[in-house]
Amino acid sequence: MRVFFLAAFLCLVLLSLLAWRIRPKVTEKGKIPLVWVSDDNPARREQIGLFNRLNLKYNLRLDPSNTGMEKVIVQSLAGVGPDLFDCYDGFQLSAYVKSGIAWDVTDELGKAGVDVAKDLWSAAHPTIMHEGRVYGFPTNVAVNCVWLNKDLFDKRRVPYPKGPMTWEEFIPLAQRMTIRNAQGKVEQFGLFCDWWNWQQFVLQWGGRLYSEDGTRCTLDSPEAIAGVQFLHDLIYKHHVMPSPVEEAAMATQGGWGSGTITFFGGGKGAMALGGRWWLCTLRDYKKLHLGAFECPHGPYRVSRGYGRATLINRNSPRHQHALEFLKYEAGKGYNELINHQADALAPVIRYSYTPLYLHDPEFPEEDYNAVWRDAMKFGVPDQISPFINGQAATRILNKQLDLVKNDQKSAAAALTRAAQEINKEIRKTLEKDPLLRVRYLKLTGGRKP
Amino acid sequence: MKGRAQRTELLSALGFLLPNFLGFVIFTAGPVLFSLGVSFSNWNLQQTIPFQWIGFGNFVELFHDPQFWLYFANTGYLMLGMPVAIAGSLFMAILLSQRLRGIVVYRTLFYLPSFTSGVALMILWKALYNPDFGPINAMINGVTHALHLKATAPQWLLATKNLLGLDVEQVRMVSKQFGLGARDALILMGVWIAIGGNNMLLYLAALTNVPQELHEAASLDGAGKWASFRNVTWPQLAPTTFFIVVMSFIGGLQGGFDQARVMTAGGPAGTTTTLSYYIYTKAFEEFQIGYASAISWILFAMIFVMTLVNWKYGSKELNY
Repeated sequence: MRVFFLAAFLCLVLLSLLAWRIRPKVTEKGKIPLVWVSDDNPARREQIGLFNRLNLKYNLRLDPSNTGMEKVIVQSLAGVGPDLFDCYDGFQLSAYVKSGIAWDVTDELGKAGVDVAKDLWSAAHPTIMHEGRVYGFPTNVAVNCVWLNKDLFDKRRVPYPKGPMTWEEFIPLAQRMTIRNAQGKVEQFGLFCDWWNWQQFVLQWGGRLYSEDGTRCTLDSPEAIAGVQFLHDLIYKHHVMPSPVEEAAMATQGGWGSGTITFFGGGKGAMALGGRWWLCTLRDYKKLHLGAFECPHGPYRVSRGYGRATLINRNSPRHQHALEFLKYEAGKGYNELINHQADALAPVIRYSYTPLYLHDPEFPEEDYNAVWRDAMKFGVPDQISPFINGQAATRILNKQLDLVKNDQKSAAAALTRAAQEINKEIRKTLEKDPLLRVRYLKLTGGRKP
Repeated sequence: MKGRAQRTELLSALGFLLPNFLGFVIFTAGPVLFSLGVSFSNWNLQQTIPFQWIGFGNFVELFHDPQFWLYFANTGYLMLGMPVAIAGSLFMAILLSQRLRGIVVYRTLFYLPSFTSGVALMILWKALYNPDFGPINAMINGVTHALHLKATAPQWLLATKNLLGLDVEQVRMVSKQFGLGARDALILMGVWIAIGGNNMLLYLAALTNVPQELHEAASLDGAGKWASFRNVTWPQLAPTTFFIVVMSFIGGLQGGFDQARVMTAGGPAGTTTTLSYYIYTKAFEEFQIGYASAISWILFAMIFVMTLVNWKYGSKELNY
């Protein structure tokens, strides 16, 4: 028995040595390895390829299996995090900064001649700027416009819509493009819209998530309620958008991109609210003839601006080298690639004001690029409050919005409850955090939470 | 000489035990004790607040946290399927203990859900629960149509309704929530998985250990099949049943994470969020490690108390 165990042990040692000897090289010899945690979008690989070609000193590789804020924070704090990672909104940026893993690159980018305020779309600022300091560079930037399936319009002999228009003007069009079968079941929806765009409706009706100073959640305002109520009504009153049950019934396959894109790409809807980044998927639907126009508006002509940014892990031993990637993101090659790939819009404004952007020779049928660029002027970034953990606010909001989406609660009741709970959470945070309390009292002129 | 041999044997035994023991200390006992310490702190991965020991602060906050009680209720509700699952696995074990041709094939087939990937099963069930095209609703609609009933099939994973009428926002019962919804869908799936699972195997093993002479004696006394089962088989299965009940309670209180993560994201409106999913949310989404550790220890206390209760009242029946 002893011989058996000894032999087994020696076998394992030999196999381990063999595995170590033949392990694949993480990086090419003589090159500095860099790891970017991002999604496995095909566009990302091309972006990495270009960086590696332009920067021969480095070998950047994608790590798609460790995405997610919780993984990035925990791994980075434990010293095994990536060099570069994505940040999707102001909530996430504040979490990364407060966790101490986002590297403040204000001075470094300044030295490299990057003027964040002047060069970038303002909608991109919340993903990189926190309390006046810069922590990264935008990977891309987006606003929502309305995609239209030209073939479905041709079939109904309806002229292609053009913006700008109000939602009131839009509804009859969407109703005309909603087609039911003999049993009354919808076969083609007039509009698709992901529910996570709810903030767009709040903004368009003049509402806000938080007060200007971020000290109070103001979702219980009549304006915010009217915005979410309208989104609800698109499903249950105007019947131009699918309910959650109808969405589930469409049961499309997943893959990269959200369900809504595949519903739209599959011809199940005539129009869809989405960003230019949808093209990354929609280009695969070869027979689809697309158009786009500015998103209809409510009392206010604004659109939700969003995007993603790349941040550098402060704890990475290669954080100085990772800075090269941010410089690359600020350069011509990267920005033109983003516009060409249609991975939303290039972060640097000037690269979207070129003939190449408007008429990409490889995609001559895409004659609507000006729509996305012009809509950026109306882009308003998401709001955050420094007085609440963004994830806690999201948890509260998701629960209430779920109930509105499922028609179990009115927008007024849900948003009033959400505002109450978020404000309670703010009070809880202030009770625990003396520094934030001082800041709060300063902002409110001594008014207690 | 004998002492030396014993000492060598002991050293060999300890040598073999050491790797496992070290692994247990480093990766199990250490983190468990660490989490106990952390539960008395305000540790938050978002370092806005300086690290402090706050005594029972997290535990006090926990008892005033309405979400905790809601998710506790959800956890309890999802355990309602437990008796059905246990009875089902006993029934299945009895069927599979018969001497039939091809019984090994049957046993393998019924055990299949246990060695199929949990995620794959959940994705399968998600499709089965599709409100419009899922086979479950197709069957329900077929039956109601044939019987000319006006009832509509449930929306399963999309609905907040449940058989007890539990409210979404408070721990109370309201009539408008009465029906079938996401929680019931998870219970049904759980029962299906559990019936053919490890419990069935345990019962199967226990059934083979019931002495044949007891059955023969009962038969001589004129006992029928039911009387023989009630008075011979069932008491002989008591230790196994006790073990299964205890393990099911533990599993039930700890459960619900996979389903919430894969099938529902804890929704709709938090109705499938259980305590284990809440711990994950608090620790890894909101980064409140101290608070999440406190929930874990409360959960541990609950499991411990439930096991003690089971032991106190359940073990009285164990005379074999």
